[in-house]
Parts: sequence; C-alpha cells; structure tokens
Amino acid sequence: MSDLGVKAKRDGQCIIVFKPSGKIIEVEQGTLLLDAARRAGVEVITPCGGFGRCGRCKVQVEMGEVARRQSAHLTQAEIDKGSALACMTVVKGDAIVYVEPKEKVKLAPPLETAAEKIALPIACEWQRNPRIRKYYLEVEPPTLADATNDLDRLRRELKLQHGVEKVSVSLPVVKNLATALRQDGWKVTTALEYDGDDQQARLIGVLSGDRSSTSWGVAVDIGTTTVVVYLVDLLTSKVVDAATAYNGQINAGDDVISRIIYSQRGDGLAQLQGMVVKTINDLLIELGGRNRVKLPEINEMVVAGNTTMTHLFLGINAKYIREEPYVPVTTHPPVVRAAELGVRINHEAGVYAFPSVGSYVGGDIVAGVLSSAMFQTDKLTLFIDVGTNGEIVLGSADWLMTCACSAGPAFEGAGVRDGMRAIPGAIEEIWINTESFEPTYRVMGNLPPQGICGSGLLSALAELFVSGVIDKGGRIRRELGTPRVRVGEHGAEYVVAWASETQDEHDIVLTEADINNLIRAKAAIYAGFSVLVNSVGLTMADVEQIYIAGGFGRHINIEKAIQIGLLPDMPWDRFKYLGNTSALGAYTALVCQDMRSVADEIAAKMTYLELSADNSFMNEYTSALFLPHTDMTAFPTVADLLENTREKLVLTRGSSVV
Amino acid sequence: MPVTVQTPVEKWNGAVREVTLGATKADGGTRGRTVTVGGSATLPFLHFEGAIPNRPVIAIQVQDIDPLDWSPTLRSAWGDVTKDVLKWAAKAVDLGADIIALNLRSAHPDSGNRGPEEIAETVKSVLGAVDLPLIIYGPGVPEKDNEVLVRAAEVAAGERVAIGLCEQNNYRTIVAACLANGHVAIARAPIDVNIQKQINILMSDMGLPLDRILMDPTTGALGYGLEYSFSVMERLRLSALQGDGMTQMPTICTIGDEAWRAKEAKVSQGVPEVWGDFAKRGVVWETITATTLLNAGADILVLRHPQAVENVRKAIDQLIA
Amino acid sequence: MALSGLEIYKLLPKTNCKECGQPTCLAFAMKLAAKGAELSACPHVSEESKAALESAGAPPIRLVAIGSGDQKFEVGNETVMYRHEKTFYHQPGILVRVKDTQAADAVVVTVQQVQNYSVERVGINITLNGIAVENASGNAQTFAKCVELVRSKTDMPLVLMSQDPAAMEAALAAAGDSQPLIYSATAENWEAMAGLAKKFKAPLAVYAADGLGGLANLTDQITKAGVADLVLDPSAANVNSTLASLVQVRRHALRKNFRPLGYPVITFPSRLASTTEEETVIAAQHIARYSGVVVLDNFDPTLIYPLLTLRQNIYTDPQKPIQVKPDIYTFGDPGDKSPLLITTNFSLTYFTVAGEIEASGIPTWLLIADSEGMSVLTAWAAGKFDAEKIAKTVKTSGIADKIGHRKLVLPGFVAGMSGEVEEELPGWKIAVGPREAVDISPYLKGVWSPD
Repeated sequence: MSDLGVKAKRDGQCIIVFKPSGKIIEVEQGTLLLDAARRAGVEVITPCGGFGRCGRCKVQVEMGEVARRQSAHLTQAEIDKGSALACMTVVKGDAIVYVEPKEKVKLAPPLETAAEKIALPIACEWQRNPRIRKYYLEVEPPTLADATNDLDRLRRELKLQHGVEKVSVSLPVVKNLATALRQDGWKVTTALEYDGDDQQARLIGVLSGDRSSTSWGVAVDIGTTTVVVYLVDLLTSKVVDAATAYNGQINAGDDVISRIIYSQRGDGLAQLQGMVVKTINDLLIELGGRNRVKLPEINEMVVAGNTTMTHLFLGINAKYIREEPYVPVTTHPPVVRAAELGVRINHEAGVYAFPSVGSYVGGDIVAGVLSSAMFQTDKLTLFIDVGTNGEIVLGSADWLMTCACSAGPAFEGAGVRDGMRAIPGAIEEIWINTESFEPTYRVMGNLPPQGICGSGLLSALAELFVSGVIDKGGRIRRELGTPRVRVGEHGAEYVVAWASETQDEHDIVLTEADINNLIRAKAAIYAGFSVLVNSVGLTMADVEQIYIAGGFGRHINIEKAIQIGLLPDMPWDRFKYLGNTSALGAYTALVCQDMRSVADEIAAKMTYLELSADNSFMNEYTSALFLPHTDMTAFPTVADLLENTREKLVLTRGSSVV
Repeated sequence: MPVTVQTPVEKWNGAVREVTLGATKADGGTRGRTVTVGGSATLPFLHFEGAIPNRPVIAIQVQDIDPLDWSPTLRSAWGDVTKDVLKWAAKAVDLGADIIALNLRSAHPDSGNRGPEEIAETVKSVLGAVDLPLIIYGPGVPEKDNEVLVRAAEVAAGERVAIGLCEQNNYRTIVAACLANGHVAIARAPIDVNIQKQINILMSDMGLPLDRILMDPTTGALGYGLEYSFSVMERLRLSALQGDGMTQMPTICTIGDEAWRAKEAKVSQGVPEVWGDFAKRGVVWETITATTLLNAGADILVLRHPQAVENVRKAIDQLIA
Repeated sequence: MALSGLEIYKLLPKTNCKECGQPTCLAFAMKLAAKGAELSACPHVSEESKAALESAGAPPIRLVAIGSGDQKFEVGNETVMYRHEKTFYHQPGILVRVKDTQAADAVVVTVQQVQNYSVERVGINITLNGIAVENASGNAQTFAKCVELVRSKTDMPLVLMSQDPAAMEAALAAAGDSQPLIYSATAENWEAMAGLAKKFKAPLAVYAADGLGGLANLTDQITKAGVADLVLDPSAANVNSTLASLVQVRRHALRKNFRPLGYPVITFPSRLASTTEEETVIAAQHIARYSGVVVLDNFDPTLIYPLLTLRQNIYTDPQKPIQVKPDIYTFGDPGDKSPLLITTNFSLTYFTVAGEIEASGIPTWLLIADSEGMSVLTAWAAGKFDAEKIAKTVKTSGIADKIGHRKLVLPGFVAGMSGEVEEELPGWKIAVGPREAVDISPYLKGVWSPD
C-alpha cells in the first residue's frame, strides 16, 4: 500500500508506522501490536507483562485496521476514538499508531549512599585468600634456540617469577595470547583466578604492560524493579562507585509471576535475559566511563537476586518456580563465564550467583542475611526486606526461619492512582494539619509535584489516619467539611495537591481504593512476620532487634511505619536500617571468597515457611487490615498518640471527632 | 493411693458486657420490661467456673409485610397473623418471646419499597401494640436501611431498641441515629473474628458506648457453615474472657433467617427419603442450629417457628438450671 | 505437654543433614510438633532426646477402637479444646440402642434401619456407626440371645450394656471376636469386667456414680489391672452438670495431661431427656462438646439426619480451604440463552459469586473449575486456573450440550487470558466479566448478551 509512502512490501505483510518517533516496521499480518512496537524499537510499557490486566499499554490507532480482544480497560467510546491495548491487539493491515511517550524508565533512581561510604558490612579476612591475583611478568622473547611456544613460555615465567605451578587455560585466552605478549615487548600482566586451592590457578586474562596495580570486580544486585552495580577495587576492598537503574525487564511485567509467564512465550526467556544483561552493561559502561576503568579489566562479578531474577539472568527455565510444588531448577547455580551471558567485562571473568533457599526465598535474601551478620548473633533478630515481594527472616546464630509474602508494589508507587517511583518530582513526605486537614509536603528535587512515591504514600497514610481524615478501616470521612475531601470518579478521595501546584496540572489525590491498596500491602508484611514469629512458638516481644532492608528501606520512616502498623510497635532503638543488603552481600562475597561457603551454609540452614500452607496467615492478614491493627494492645504508643490527638482536638475544637 | 481430682477451673480476666434492651417508664420509655443480656464470666453454661448473671433470650421474628416466600411449615404454624404485623407481634408475645424482632421488609425495593414515613408509622404502631423490647432490622439494602432506620430510630427515641445491621461498609448513619436517640446498634461481620472486632471498634470510635453494641457474627445454618459460626463465636467469647474489651459485646444470632433458607427446611419434593419428615425437618433444623450456637455463646437468638421457640427455651432452661 | 517446634529443635542434632527428608532440622522439628512426621525418620537423634520427645509426644487422650473389621470406628486422640486451635480428629460414633426385652422383630427392624441409613452430604456418604444392646431383662441368656440376633444381622460395632459380669460374658461370647465396647465397669464390678475386657480383647467403658474423682480412681485401678483401652461415661444428673463433666474431662486430659481421665467419652442423651426431640437437642450438644460415642434411644431419620450433618460440620478441618465440587451450577432455571460464567472452586469464591448471581435474579449457568481450593488470583498465579484448565473444564463439563450460545464469561481479574482461552476453545467467544463479585448483578443485567 503506497499511501503510507513506504517501499513495496511482500504479501501478507503490513507496514506499521509509529508516531511520534516515526519508526516504521514491516510485520506479518496478525502480529501483536506490542511485538511490532518492540521490534520497531518503540517502547511500550506493560507492567502486567502484556496480558491485558493493567491497561497501561494503551495506544492510538490513527489509521488502518486492527483487531482488538475485549478488555475491561477500554470503553466503547475509547475504541471508537481508536484506542487499543498494544498487548491485546493484532494488526490486520497497514496502520499508523501513536504511542504516548511514557515516563522515562531509564532515569536512574537516586543512590542512597555515596559510594565511598559503603564499607564491608561484616568482618572478614578478605586478604587471606584472594580469588583474583594479578602478576606482572617480563617474558624472554622466543628465539630459534628457545622456541618454546607462547603459552608454555608464559607458564614457565609464572612458575619462575611467582611460583605458580598449575595453570589451566581456556581457548579465548589462548587466542588472544600472541598479541598480548607482543604488544608491549613481552611485558604482560596475567589475571589468575583461584577457586579456593592455592595450587590451582585458572588463567583468565593476559594484558600487555604492567596492569598489576589495579584489580577490579563488580557486585550486582538484580532486583525485580531496580538493578544496582558496585564497582569494587579488589586490591583495597573498597567500593569506588555505584550506579543503579531500573531493571529493563520492567517492560515485560511488574512482578516475578508476570515475568515468568512472559518467559514462557516464544523466545521470552532469551528476551528477558537480554533485557537485564543490557541494563547491567549500561551500568557498567556508565561506571567504567566515570572511573576510567576498561570493562575487560573487570575480572570478577558476583550477583545476588531473587530466585526468579537469578534464573532469568542465567537463562534458566523459570517455569516451575511458579507451579506447585514450586521447585526451582537449581538453588546453587554454577559459576559461569561473563562471555556466556553477554556481560561485557573480561570474557573469562567468573560470574558467581548467590545460592537461594527455594523458589520464593532467593540469593538476595541469603546475601542480605550474610551482610546483616544476623547469622552470627545471639540476639533474636527479625530481618524484613520490604519490596514487591516482602521477604522476612527470623533467627540468630542458632537457627533461621524465612518466609515471603506478596505485598504488591503499592509502596513502590505502583497500583496507586497518583503513585510514582522515587524520582525528582515525587512527593516523598506529607504532613496533615489535624485541625484544618490541610497538607504540607516535600518533593524530591524541590520541583513542583508530579505524583507520590512509596515513602510519601506511607507518610500520607499515617497522616490521614492520625489526623482523622480516614477511620481505622481506611474509609475517608466525607463529613469533615474540607474541600480536600470530595467524591470523585472513583469514590471518595483526598486532594494532596491542587492542579495549580503540580507539574502537569492535575490534582494529585489519594482515593479510598489507593488507601485500601496500601493497607493491604502493609498488612501482608505485618502478617508475614507475625506468622513467622508465631510458627516457632515465639511472640513479637521475644524479638530483640529488627533489621530493615530493601530499596524502600532507605526512605522508611519508622515512626510512621509503626503508626500504620507496617512495623511492630517497639522501641525505635531496636530497629536498624541496613540499606540494600542484597548488594552489600554480593560485595562481601566479591572481595572475600570465603564468604561464598558461608553463604552456602546460610542457605542450607534457612528453613522456609510456606505462608499459603499456614492457616494462621489469613487470620493474621485480616487482623492487620486495620489501622494500625485490630489488636490495639499490640500498638500501645499509637493508642496513646490517638488518645492525645483526640484530647487536643476536644480542647481546640470543643468537640470530639465524630 | 487414691487419685485426687480437682475441678479444672480456668482464670479469666474479663466477662461479656451486659447490654440492656428496652426502656420502661422510669428510664424514659414505654416498655413493660427490659431485657438484659450478657454478663457471663465464663464459657457458655460452665456454672462451676464463673457467674452467668443473665440467661440467653429468644427474640421472635415478625415482618411488616406478609412473607409469602416463607416455608409452608412456617406459614401454617403462624396462620393468618402474618398478614398483620400487630397481630403477629401480639401472638409472638403470647408464645413467650423475650424480644420482638421487627423486620422492615416492606422497605425493600423488591417488596413494596415503602418510604421512611410509612415505616415510621409501622414502628410506632408496633411499639404501641406490644410492650416488649424491640429489635428493628432494615430491609438489608444499605441506602434503604439508612433511610428508614434513621426514621425508625427517631420515632422510637428513648425506647432503647436494638437497630441493625451495621456493617463495615455502612455503619456511620445507623450508629449516629442510635447515638442521637438512645438506642443499641447491632454490628454485623461476615463470620470473621477480626472483622467483627474491627466493626466494633469503628462503631465505638464514633462515641457509641460499649454497652450499646450487640455483635452479630453472622449465622451459618446447620449444614451451611454452622461450624464457621460456631468457631468464630467460641473465639470471640474466649477473647472477651481474656479481657479484650472490643469483643465483649453480647452476641445475637439470626437463626431463623439462616435455618429456613436451608434446602432441608425449604424443599419437600425430590429430596432423599432419608431426610425424613418434611413437616418436622425445618423445625429441627432451626432448633439444632440454635442450640448448637447457644453452646458457642449466643446471647440472643432470633427465631421464626413457634415449636423451635419452645424447643430452644427448654434447652436454655436445662442449661441454665 | 506438647512441645513447640523450637523446643523440639533443641533436642535434635542440628546437623541439617536432610536424611529425614526435610531441608533442615528446624523444618523437621516443626513437622514433629505438627505431628506431620515421625521421630524415627531422624537417624542421628540421641537416646536421651528420643526418650524426652517420646514421653512428650504420647497422646493425652487415648485412641480407642470400637468394633472390628471394615466398620469399626476409632475415637479419642484429640489434641485441642476448641476446633479452631487445630481440628477435631475422630468424629463420635453415633449408635442406636435396642433392648433384650424387645420383640425379636422390632430389634431386627431397628438394626436394619441403622445398618441401611446412609445419606450423602457434600459428596460424602454419612452413616450411623453401630448398635447398643441393653440387658434390660436382667437375664444373661436373654441378653446373649439378643446379641446373637443383632450380630447375625449386622457387622456394625456393638456396645453391650450390662452391669452383670455373667451376662456380659455370655453376650461377649455371642458377639464373637468383634471387640464390642463393654458397658460398663463400675466400682462394684470392675475387676470382673476388666477380666472380661482382657479375655475378649474388648474396650471397656467405665462409669462411677461419684463423679470424676471416682472415675479417675476406677480407671487408675483398671489400667493397673492391665486394661488399656477405656472409654469414660462422665454423665451426671442433668444437662448442665453433664456438660460441665464433659468439659472437665477434656481439660484434665489436655491441659493437665492427667492420664486417668485421658480417654474418649460415651454419652446417653436420652437419660437427660423426656422426649425424642429433647434427646436430639442434647445429642447435638454432646457431639459439639467432646463426646466420642453417642448412644441414641430412638431411630427417626428426621432427627438422625441433622445430627449426622452436625457431626460432619463440627469435625470438618477448619485449616483446610473448603472446596466446592467442580461442576455446573445453576441459578434460577437457566435456558439455552442464559449467561455462562466460570470461576474457581474455593468455597468463599463460589459462595460470593453464587450469592451475587442469586441476588441478580438472572437465570445463570456457573461453571466451577478445579483450582484445588484456590481463589481466582491465587489460582492464576499458581497456574491452577489457566487457559488450558478453563478449556478442559468447559470441554469435560458437558455445558456445550446445555446451552445454545458459545460465550463464556471470565472473571475480570484474569482478563488477560481471554486470548489464550479463545485459542484453546475454538468456536467460543470469551467475554470478560467484572473483577469484583458485587458487580456481577449489573453485569448480568446490563452488559451480558449471548451474541
């Protein structure tokens, strides 16, 4: 069809033009619009994994014929105007499609701590048995009299100059050897990898010249949402820089289940692996550039991620993680070489992934337990990793119990009408006046607000509750007589910011549905650790210290988290923020290879409690679906606060809040 | 050496709260007597362990519109009086009801859709015709409940009637009406201890005194979820005895509504012969549902069939003796 | 007293060797605490620990079998006061009594009625458990003859009721090797009765006129005489004192681990009743409150059926998600143009959806898929309610023969599967219903059409 102004095409093919980018692609008739867009390099966000559940991949078909599957996310009026869900629509002919540019997912979230502040979280003898050892060699060039081949020559010098007896080597290193030796007059630096045995080395790199004064490694946390990379100087054990980005797989689904389903479609597994590897490579390039480190000089990589992320990163089938009896392919993946994965560091660099406990307690948690040192303490410790999947560990040096609960992404800003990620423009903290019900808020980057991020949502919930805008069941009280409370399209809502204050001139609101979402998220986590503590016959009062970890952890306001019943009502000094314990664990195992066997011991020791098989979970969960909790006696400081607030109001308003 | 056995008594820190329904002239109402329920400081009927100051009571259910859909067993037992709520209520008094439970079914959009003023007249006339304490139930449709119960509460001001149902998604209007007119509110939760407690708290947070709340944890009939109700009521009672003020309200069970909804009570044809005699079955169904929940901690039983009333009263007599 | 998982863990070797089949020692300890594993599975446990764990693990209420062969039933071994704490395990046997003074015909009629009574409830056949034969005549021969007659008509478990050891011996001989329950040993006859229990390897019921103290002394003596399988009759003068006894026996056993009262219980509701209806009401109380053997005086299906239903209710495991049978359910009188909805077999899902369909008043077909008791989203996440499963449910249900259209409404939460389901079910149109059950009525009334 020449009306699109494109070259002639084959039969049964359709030409799709994407606006506003102008990208054009030729696809077979019947191709999913989403796939066409992906192939054209047009980004369409599909938080649900492309299964028509979320309605976020809405596009406009401006011209041409498509076939839509029925969806609850499209009204007839929208269809009449050309709207279509990219994941539920196939092309029938040539078409012009407008794709709204979405929030730039490449925008990096802020790092919690400057890299130089990151220190080894636990004591370890990292210098005792280094995994990567670099030796500078000056090799006699071959002559007719001494015509020993390059490799044996190198081996001979390693033995002579550094006493290295046994060296194994792989083809890629051999292929590169001749050039490396000759490039700088037979002066080279070798990188050797020792897998615990001092007598046995693996030659993983030969660089020309003296490069022995630096040795680089990277520690990577692959989160479902965020990927973090630490660049580590292996000679000093210091983290020299860190970078983070959203996991490129986000476009294939917000949660692990959606990703697993995606991985089962066609070459979905390879696609997902490619997406996360690309994210990591982009971060490596950023770090390398900033720190003048050549990526091939990075000789070791340690990765921690949940079981699904680890499977997908390694390209292992994740299907059975989701299906009863929930068995992963492996909990102890083998060390692989970077080249096999497409990670652009030294091709021969080993990539070690943390062992996991089971399908729903992964290497990220093992890394977390490692870096928190809770496996060494005598104090009964509760470790809570607040994320889309809340993972919880209870125990001490003696024993460790763990469980995972599905909290949903509400505290990460998803699934909430005006929720957003923690990027500039996000409201990150809110205060509400108990008399006027007027809010004050703080925005990241001091910009006009665009939405509310997780920490903002948490503080909003606490403030709405304490100020009496909502009741303990989370219902907005419509009779308060403030314009901030109104009934909108989706029921009652509270206006956090008027359109005139915001970036894109829309009222930022919290609806009753949003509030219920947040309450469900906090209830899942509270119920998770309550069941875990009760399962071994203990009570919350027995818990001596509480560690909080996770991307959310850097923002968490303990006081408000207690007020809404996300965390137990305990003295604040029992809580400790640990930040990103998964990345810290990966970093620890990177610089100190003895920690890898410790990680194995931790994984072997952790006892997994399946919450869905525990009948008290539903009871605890329902009990926690209340502010702060149905059992008020478990929240004495909140009870006092409410009592005081009420008394104050009686004094100032002359009446109680009814 | 002979074995010695001591009575195994458990120590409790709390008791069910006493709630009084009805107000006599002295208290500003017009009832001939009041009924006080609750007060138990032990599990149901364990006289060896703690005080049981008030016996469980029976409320007989009457409707302001002839219940044509009721089982023939029920209709023949009551005869013509179901056509006139005043006569019906009077007969219920004769049968020994402790309380009259008035269902304002006629306000339901499917059964006449009467408005608040008509309903107000009904409530006034029932108050005039009988002098027992009253329970007033709305038609069970939130908007209509709020509309007619508010008027009912106003015309019954001072009579300390129990008004229901307050549910988690619709309680504020009814609680406010009870607060304003001196009534008792009934908190209904869907067979769930936590939700029951939550609705109790929400109602008390509005300023309603705890001795003006009854809880209705939802009744499952024999064969249709009775075991859930049984366990939820046991848990609520245990929690009350352990001192949780928010579960110490007396419990009311709508036995008749649920038991007569069971297929066993409703269907006479095409059911297994081993089910026995249809004419007796519904009554037994209502009786066993009631007495089982009595043993789980019911304080007020709302019943339909005169024979079931008789059976349940005998059971209470035996348990309280 | 039962030990917690952590207390048991402290007695285990803590090697995490996995040889018991559990991933860790703590996991094994928790299984032991929940009675889901046997200590013998641990090859490395020390003798000391074994002894400590075994004594703590003995059941506080002895499990006693009554009768022999296929129809025998077991009672006791209960672990909780309230069913929500765990579950009640062994439902009480419900038996009907005949007397040796009755005409043989009448006895046979009752026996056959009891034998043949069977009724299906939620897919399970529920039945009565046996016959009690009472020596009302006071004559040993008459008693033995009556037992012989009953035995000739049924293999069901028996309770033999006589205080006279001679009569009991004759009846036991007539009952053959069928381990009937001997009722009863008393302060007067216990030595002889204990002898018979040993001789005939039969369980023995014990009654004391002077309350639980007397009862405990009797069982103490009888166990010392070598009879272990006992059943207690704690009945008292009236309904409420009997209730008190039943509760106290259970508390002694469970709370105090008091062995002399750690046995199942037998009750005779008719002794406290003046009419058959009263007997039923009291029997219902005893079923809910700890009785292990309930002996009725009368057989009346109208009264038996509710009691069996109640027993099934009370002994349902509250820990298990209740499932409904995967099947086609109808509301109103649906025709070939009526809507067809599908959902999962978690009972709460079913009841919520069913309630809303019923409330809509629209005749409707509802197809229930076997999602192993999971709700829609959980089942979807676990792959138990996927396109394949839905297609299979539609195909095997035979629904296609009942309706004229080919349109299936999916729950809104799994809207994303509609394409896959269409692929699995050629010729069907897949519509997306509401996400929440409350919106079903407006959907059926306003949105649905068979085209």
